[in-house]
Amino acid sequence: MKIEDVVCSFCGCLCDDLVVEVEGTRVISVENGCTLASEKFLGDHRLKTPIRRDGNSWTKISYDEAIAETAEILLDADRPLLYGWSGTFGEAQSVGVHLAEILGAVIDNTSTVCHGPSILAIQEVGHPGCTLGQVKNRADVVVYWGANPVDAHPRHMSRYTTYCDGFFRKDAFKDRKVIVVDVRDTESSILADEFVKVNPGGDYAVLSALRAIVRGKRGIIPPEVEGVSREQLFRVADICMSAKFGAVFFGVGLTMAPGKNKNIRNAIEFTEELSRHTKFTISPMRGHWNVYGSNEVFTWISGYPYAVDFARGIAFYNPGETTSVDILKRGECDACLVVASDPGAHFPKECAEHLARIPTVQIDPHVNVTTHLSRIQIPVAVAGIDAEGTAYRMDGVPIRTRKLFQGQYPDDFEVLEKIYAIVKEAKG
Amino acid sequence: MRVILKTRPRAKPKIPIEAEEIIPQNFLRKNDIRVYEGNKERALDDLFFVTYEGPAVSPDQVEIVLTGDTGVIKRVGEYMNAGRIIIEGDIGMHCGNFMSAGEILIRGNADAWLGREMRGGHILCEGNSGHYCAAGYRGEKRGMRGGIVEVRGNSGDFTAEYLSGGEVIIHGDCGDLPGVEMRGGTLVIGGDCSRPCGNMTGGTCMIFGEAHKFLPTFRKNGTDDIVYAGKHYLMNLFRGDVANRGKGTLMVRQ
Repeated sequence: MKIEDVVCSFCGCLCDDLVVEVEGTRVISVENGCTLASEKFLGDHRLKTPIRRDGNSWTKISYDEAIAETAEILLDADRPLLYGWSGTFGEAQSVGVHLAEILGAVIDNTSTVCHGPSILAIQEVGHPGCTLGQVKNRADVVVYWGANPVDAHPRHMSRYTTYCDGFFRKDAFKDRKVIVVDVRDTESSILADEFVKVNPGGDYAVLSALRAIVRGKRGIIPPEVEGVSREQLFRVADICMSAKFGAVFFGVGLTMAPGKNKNIRNAIEFTEELSRHTKFTISPMRGHWNVYGSNEVFTWISGYPYAVDFARGIAFYNPGETTSVDILKRGECDACLVVASDPGAHFPKECAEHLARIPTVQIDPHVNVTTHLSRIQIPVAVAGIDAEGTAYRMDGVPIRTRKLFQGQYPDDFEVLEKIYAIVKEAKG
Repeated sequence: MRVILKTRPRAKPKIPIEAEEIIPQNFLRKNDIRVYEGNKERALDDLFFVTYEGPAVSPDQVEIVLTGDTGVIKRVGEYMNAGRIIIEGDIGMHCGNFMSAGEILIRGNADAWLGREMRGGHILCEGNSGHYCAAGYRGEKRGMRGGIVEVRGNSGDFTAEYLSGGEVIIHGDCGDLPGVEMRGGTLVIGGDCSRPCGNMTGGTCMIFGEAHKFLPTFRKNGTDDIVYAGKHYLMNLFRGDVANRGKGTLMVRQ
């Protein structure tokens, strides 16, 4: 059976035009998807049943046993950490926040290793953003800063920017100018009209220089700023100022470079400065599928988008203190529940070592690096394939994903609801 | 009155303790002081051996001495408005948050957010301080507003972020972006630092070591012979941050 208009559940683009062919409980083919989407839909490394570590081997256990033991581990902890959430849908994330509140836990999502600094900057100076539809239909200048969409968001350029005609951009490839700023040549920089190669860690200075130029202070700029010539800086500023509608997209190359949130703040203030001359917007290239949704859901319930500490019964937020990497590195938490993420593959070594020392439970469809650090793993349905729910695209547009077939696994929501029920009963 | 708080051994020593009630005024009447260990509320006695020596009739006469494994204790001295706290070793995050008067002496190192949004009083750290020393909370437009924070060792990144008043003196090196978003007050860096005073709009920063990766948006404004701590120094003067129409003063030793 062929299903049309399927929403991809890999990156933050949430492409909603996939055609997926399903046979029973297997995906046979994927059309319109990028390589990443095909891997996601066709991948077949799912864990069959819940497992528990038993010395150096694994024992198969029932869902009820796994859920009961997970609840027990979390109830015994003095500083539990609930991490992940970006690979699942909003309904499950919501249960997660309520579970954290009742446990007095810290709950954090993958923003902590991607666009957390963007959120900090937005909290300082706001977010002059727009939807991807606006960019597609209007933008004549697109800047990718510290982002490599060809590799990380393969359809971003073809659906929204370089190769996509829009209502006011009838011949997008010729109409739009693309500027790529990065520390190295990439697949995306090859496609740029203007490639600005910045010294590693030099983004902040380049952004400051561009702001000064747009403010009319060209005379202050030295001949070279962090590997970029003054002439190129002037040229980039002129391209941006002469745009009818410009859009900046930034990636983890900017958020995780030295200066972190201050880089993003500088980029936002550059955008605001440009908006004194023309219309300019700025948006993060969110990577994990529903990471934007996790920020939304956390904020609805707790007031904060990530790194929320409920230890005192009220929500406290302070990235650097309550972010999972920092908590794990300091060895603070004494139990961890990982949902829809793989911190074992992405976190620093000492964090992974601490995850292995404490009772870690993973709720995830697949065997991954975190499996090897965990005490229990509970397999679930894959959001957007055999589980349905709401996810947010990188520009904040909510999109409902569908269940393509009825599989054998419970989804994240069902498993978390059962854990929550046990914890609630124990807490009274 | 002298109050000595010595930490008791704990089964999970890395779980942080939140102890914002450890301030002199709370010990005057020997209130029922509560602290948090992770998500558990504890009595002070559960986590500390507590000894009282001598009387006091006002918070000014109360001196608290913290000893033992104090590096994971957060928020000590929060909203302190009188008296003295002596920490014999290291101290955790947020020491001296919002303090308005009194004195904190840290004989070891201080973790991040030392003197966050402080209004007055004096903090002396004899070791190093972490990131965001004398800075503001996330999203706040003003950091430290008054008082003195002095660090004898080095300080981490984002020192004196959003500094709005008072004086921050770092005798050693600073990390990246000290004085970022600074709008008032004085920041003194005895050693080296990187990218000082990005986006500053006001205040004065003096750097007596090397300023690495100096930002291109500061306008050279001549030199000046200044006297600091009884010594003469020839300083290069800069105004900025021009990217932000800033009118701050940045001085770097020649």
